[in-house]
Amino acid sequence: MTKHEIDCEKALQQIFQFIDHELGGDEREAMQRHLHTCKSCFSRAEFERRLKEKVGEMRQEQDAPEVVRSRISRLLKTF
Amino acid sequence: MAISREAFGEQVLALVGSLHGVARRLTGNDADAEDLVAESVARAWKALDSLESDAAFRAWIFRILHNTFVSERRSASARPQCDPIDGENLDEAEPVFSIFEQMHQPFLLWFSNPEQEFLDRLLREDLERALATLPEHHRVVVILADLEEFDYREIADTLGVPLGTVRSRLARARGTLQKLLWEQAQARGLSGAAATGAAEGRVAGVPRAKSGKEA
Repeated sequence: MTKHEIDCEKALQQIFQFIDHELGGDEREAMQRHLHTCKSCFSRAEFERRLKEKVGEMRQEQDAPEVVRSRISRLLKTF
Repeated sequence: MAISREAFGEQVLALVGSLHGVARRLTGNDADAEDLVAESVARAWKALDSLESDAAFRAWIFRILHNTFVSERRSASARPQCDPIDGENLDEAEPVFSIFEQMHQPFLLWFSNPEQEFLDRLLREDLERALATLPEHHRVVVILADLEEFDYREIADTLGVPLGTVRSRLARARGTLQKLLWEQAQARGLSGAAATGAAEGRVAGVPRAKSGKEA
């Protein structure tokens, strides 16, 4: 049985799903095999992964300002 | 689903930082963000029966936050808002903009790796500005996927759209974000220097030395 193979066009269609860990089993493996053999798609995936990482770094440390936390705590006591 | 007042409060307080962070990026300011979170928590408490399971709490309360934002924005606007989904299908055939494709030119690769160097020099303020400029329906999927690290299913549940729409909207949103970053770089004379910079052995995205003639 031949393994599922993908070309560059298919790889580019799935690139965001790949970097978001949304490709399952066979599709993920086919993408990984393609990236091992295609420098251009590998570079593209690396670029998109790094940009996603940069965007993610904008997430501030997720503690709300004390004034917000206090307000929500007071609100919860009214329920 | 029955959930105790204590459990509801614990879940809300565990998420209040994320809720406020997302609200701030949606509204653009702290005061409105604070009001949005408070209003959303109040609505969530009233809508507790619509919570299907404990595991669904995060997507459920973010959905309420998003719906509250959309409904309040609509009621605050004198004019009806355009439904972004209408436009989403229309531009489906258009290619998604890619910085990589702009910069990954074979002749540039002789000298450097310009797209990676572009990223190295990308400032947080560039990203903040581009994200804030994104249309709301694009901004929210990027926030949920890349800042809050929701998976596609959670994003679909939060926004009340099919999984396929999450996939296409996220791809389009990232394309728009890259276009904005590219335009910002061009406006500062950075990306335009990519080819020249690389050809001169310099890094793409690096400002040229001040010559006195440059804008």
